[in-house]
Amino acid sequence: MHTFIGYERADGSVGTRNVVAIASVMDNSNPVARAVAGAVSGTVLLPGLYLRGQIGRDREITLNAMAGLCLNPNIAGVVAIGLEPITTGELSERISSSGKPVESLNIQMAGGTINAIAEGTRLAARMVREVSRIRPREFPISKLMVGVECGGSDTTSGLSSNPAVGVVADRIVAAGGTVIISETSEFFGAEHLFAQRARDPAVKEQFLQRVAALEKEIKAQGIDLRGSNPSQDNIRGGLTTIEEKALGAMAKAGKSPLVGVLGYGERPREPGLHFMAAPAPAVENLTALAAAGCQICVFSTGIGNPIGHPVSTIVKVTGNRNTAETFADNIDFEVTGILERNERIEDAGGRLFEYVLSVASGELTSSEILDVRETMISRFGTSM
Amino acid sequence: MLRAIVLHSDDNVATLIDPGRAAIPVKLTGEASGEIELTDDIPFGHKCAIRAIAKGAEILKYGQVIGRATAPIRVGDHVHIHNVEALRGRGDIEEGR
Repeated sequence: MHTFIGYERADGSVGTRNVVAIASVMDNSNPVARAVAGAVSGTVLLPGLYLRGQIGRDREITLNAMAGLCLNPNIAGVVAIGLEPITTGELSERISSSGKPVESLNIQMAGGTINAIAEGTRLAARMVREVSRIRPREFPISKLMVGVECGGSDTTSGLSSNPAVGVVADRIVAAGGTVIISETSEFFGAEHLFAQRARDPAVKEQFLQRVAALEKEIKAQGIDLRGSNPSQDNIRGGLTTIEEKALGAMAKAGKSPLVGVLGYGERPREPGLHFMAAPAPAVENLTALAAAGCQICVFSTGIGNPIGHPVSTIVKVTGNRNTAETFADNIDFEVTGILERNERIEDAGGRLFEYVLSVASGELTSSEILDVRETMISRFGTSM
Repeated sequence: MLRAIVLHSDDNVATLIDPGRAAIPVKLTGEASGEIELTDDIPFGHKCAIRAIAKGAEILKYGQVIGRATAPIRVGDHVHIHNVEALRGRGDIEEGR
């Protein structure tokens, strides 16, 4: 049986990393959070975006996504840094209910920037020392939640790296784990095919509604995505129809049934394959997947995309021989054998699965080593 | 030898992973084996038929329907926008689910 070595959390989840998050509650607290994260090793910075002035659903999503990032099993503890205690409390309460250690600090109460940095640094240093005592041990794959995503796609993506990622997705699900595919716009044209995989009519309807809602929103801006899809570039590259293009992207999700539909950054309530409605660009999407609790995201790229995430470990996979060579600094795993040496997709995917488990057990990926990591919660509304 | 990959055993098209030349044999890899001969030059990344496809029949890739033939397609023919139409995302037909 396959297992991985991870760090158990109070809520029963298991981290594949063991770091302290320095979470800035709102944008005006970012400089202090940045200074604290820079001063203490074993931390990751989670900058705040706006929050002040955000209203309604947009504000809820921002707060929940930031709380979700902090609740990700890779995060051992949180230092929440805000301006004033009321908003900081809104964030810290969402985290502490899970049993995860949270320390809060407010710049107004601390007496300005210098004092806040000093206090935050002490809080973070103490927490890093505490969480370093957690001993990793062996856990089953059912404790893994893996996001699948693609960026910088080309012809090789749909033919090799995406189907190989699909093999990983199927193996995780078969072992009782959780997989999330996202990037709503990539389903346009083939949503009816993916919908057939829904476990029941309710899940099917939820999925189709999410796709239709985004399309309606985009149409309201006067943009017809279907009319220009596949693009002239796609057609030159050999893609004939919108269905074909979407199926190439959907190949990342393997063949398991769809058991749930999630909003932006929402945590799955059961194992199995889920769809999350979230924007396709890499940073926003990886942030949403990390907020849902994915310890790892497997990221398929054709022409190359380097970006990682501070909370979820990103595995960059390519099936493009040129990219594997020219973009090697940012590629973690290549499945070029599929197109170059007639390797079966199942075999390449099997090798990738073993690699993902090694990453889950602590092997570092390029975006972690080079620290090319970014986090960005999507906006869904207007500020006051 | 030139190669084309088949992604699912049900597929009736393969994708060229080398630039294809007319009348030159192509080896099928992936979920099918054997050889076919192309009827025309076909660029890298484009599709060729590995079975005869009647006009109106479904084009299958990933084991799923990616469109419908608008003309009879012979084994080895280039399969692309000139002989395939999408079933979805069109303004001129009613979208069904």
